[in-house]
Amino acid sequence: MEEAEKLIHALRTQQVDAIVGERHIMLVRLKQAEENLKSSRNQLRALASYLLSARENERAVIARELHDEFGQGLTSLQLGLSWISRKLTPGQQPLQKKIKSLSATTTNLMRSVKNIASELRPGVLNELGLVKTLKSEAREFEGHTGIRCRFKTNTAKAKFDRSAAVAIFRIVQAALTNIARHAHASRAHIALTKRKNGVTLTVTDNGKGISRKLVYGHDSLGITGMRERALALGGTFTLGGSGSSKGTILTVQIPLSRVIIGPASSRSRNTPQF
Amino acid sequence: MKARKREKRRAAKPVRETYVFRLFVAGNESNSSQARGNVARLCEERIKGRYKIEVVDVLKDVSSAHKNKVLVTPTLILIKPLPKVTVLGNLNDTKQVIAALRLNGDER
Repeated sequence: MEEAEKLIHALRTQQVDAIVGERHIMLVRLKQAEENLKSSRNQLRALASYLLSARENERAVIARELHDEFGQGLTSLQLGLSWISRKLTPGQQPLQKKIKSLSATTTNLMRSVKNIASELRPGVLNELGLVKTLKSEAREFEGHTGIRCRFKTNTAKAKFDRSAAVAIFRIVQAALTNIARHAHASRAHIALTKRKNGVTLTVTDNGKGISRKLVYGHDSLGITGMRERALALGGTFTLGGSGSSKGTILTVQIPLSRVIIGPASSRSRNTPQF
Repeated sequence: MKARKREKRRAAKPVRETYVFRLFVAGNESNSSQARGNVARLCEERIKGRYKIEVVDVLKDVSSAHKNKVLVTPTLILIKPLPKVTVLGNLNDTKQVIAALRLNGDER
């Protein structure tokens, strides 16, 4: 074998420990480094997945506590105020006024608690399923922000694995929040598409776009959260310019095996579906 | 008559040369350690008592690597008997290493 061939063979078969340079010795622990990297990546993915599921569980507990404790307490308060109001005589006008104002505050508080609870735990996801929830999310987003938002999908009849559904929903929520806060956009578009090997989620807008620094920045917690959720499902996450002159495009691709799409009867009864 | 017999004996028993190897390694890195073990084992099996292995750790002595034009470790150089032979890698492929270093049967 020629010298060059021998060298290439040794490098390819990872039999090389060090490369001797003009002045330096470079240690190359190729195989070991590769294995370590693979193992750390798997560990990180498992950890991210565990953290996300723990976070969702914690959120569900807080939502339930909020609903049960505060919701019921505020309802009692409302009933109490109404009872006092009925007991007041027409001569006690200032008191009547005060009770009315307190009652209005209580109603607002009840609404806030309900909103916070539903934000913490998307109950609508349980009731309606992912596709209808995303449709409703797009409608609500348009209503709150005035940014025209459309949702398209070819997965209307598909059933989603619970963790995948929650992850996709949270990613859409975070993406829409970013659009409302930072994009200065007038239009947004959500698409959930089933392909041969997986499901692709895209959220686009026609806003000012996003810088590379922000995409990979450590302070971009929302983006980091979205990326973690996608990676925990064994998927990929990309965020950048939409290719046209303006806007941002977010793309998440998740392998089909992690999303579980298909008729409900074809899967285990124990697997929660959305 | 005696002289002829002596000559005959000499022809039947060829002179056994000592093999001199120089093995370049990088400390105790995995492939280097394997190469060390493999070359020692092969020499013991094939040319017991007739070999000399000089191990050069490039992490301590890089100039020797430069002098011998060694680019990677592990590298084994057969210095003697000539011609010189260079083998790269951990020397796990016994058959190929034996063939390359001319350690096949007839030398035993």
